[in-house]
Amino acid sequence: MRHRALACVLSALLGAPSAWTAHAQTAPAEGIQTVTVTYTRDPVDKSYRKMIRGMERFEHEHALAPQATLRLRLLPRAPTVDMHGITLRVIGDHITVPVTVAPDNSFTLLRNEQALQEDAAVVANRKTTSMTWRAQVMTPGLPPGTRRLGDLRLECLVGMEAGLVSNSSPLFGWISNALTSAEQVCNSPDGNFLFFTERPVFAVTLHAGDRTEILPFRYLYAGGDQTRDMLPFCDCQVLLDRTYYAPIWDRSWPDDTLVTFDFMDDAP
Amino acid sequence: MNLRPILLIAVLLSGCATRAPEPGTSVAESRFDQLVVPGRTTRAELLAAFGPTKTVQFDSGLETWLYTTPAAGGHTELVLLLGRDGIVKKMRKRPPYPTDPQPR
Repeated sequence: MRHRALACVLSALLGAPSAWTAHAQTAPAEGIQTVTVTYTRDPVDKSYRKMIRGMERFEHEHALAPQATLRLRLLPRAPTVDMHGITLRVIGDHITVPVTVAPDNSFTLLRNEQALQEDAAVVANRKTTSMTWRAQVMTPGLPPGTRRLGDLRLECLVGMEAGLVSNSSPLFGWISNALTSAEQVCNSPDGNFLFFTERPVFAVTLHAGDRTEILPFRYLYAGGDQTRDMLPFCDCQVLLDRTYYAPIWDRSWPDDTLVTFDFMDDAP
Repeated sequence: MNLRPILLIAVLLSGCATRAPEPGTSVAESRFDQLVVPGRTTRAELLAAFGPTKTVQFDSGLETWLYTTPAAGGHTELVLLLGRDGIVKKMRKRPPYPTDPQPR
């Protein structure tokens, strides 16, 4: 299995992408073969099975955010992508299921046994690598513009389980899958799971009872050490000024910890 | 098959890999407080007074700069937001906390 993945990686590295067809028919006609391709699957299309597993993970770990609801969300990954009018479909060998996308590009998936059996893909009407994906776990009633640490913990677990982080090549996707699990990423200071704010962020502060701490600079902007050459490999490429790490691994901060933000465009 | 070379390439290329953070240039806090005034202090003045330091540039044209100053229990971060015009828009400080990891 790993060798097959490696072959795919090497193929991609050598400039010979091996996109496979989900449903193809061949019919010889007077010596000429006609091939009808109904769907060409992008090697990094999102797995419907994985996304359903992520939604199941949300149910299993719901204690982290008992009042919260889950949605999945599309975010820009490439500088030129148009994030308006995005449509999503679940596409298997013999099934296509449209997915309703909200104006904020969030959505949920319904469980479909046939799509699961066919190992369907979740496909957008955009080049897959032009966007990234995240889970959105939101507890209602929080002060506007704030987040709750338990919600972020659950976003990490669901996002990793669902395979939502969009790396820039099969190589990175494969390495990520081979070396990391949701537990490893979400429970480690070196997990490096990126969260995104709604606007460019200048400071992030945690509040739990009497304890208040501003996060260090290295928790912002994907560590603050991304060069122009490195950015295309990170799914924070166009969201760098909205990117932060939260100490989701640090259990000294309870799930009810409130996360507040000072945004760049806030008044000084 | 030996996967080690592939793993090494991936680690070298990965833009999201963990790397030791580069500390900002250390400055005297009193001098910093005297010189830096949001809405007035320029990039050139910062460079002349404190020298280059760790910066992050964004597609928007904004930049964040990190200086540090010694403080009991570690160092205080002095973080600046510079506008497209090269003038300091905002400034904030982060003191050391008892829970901060100690330098190795």
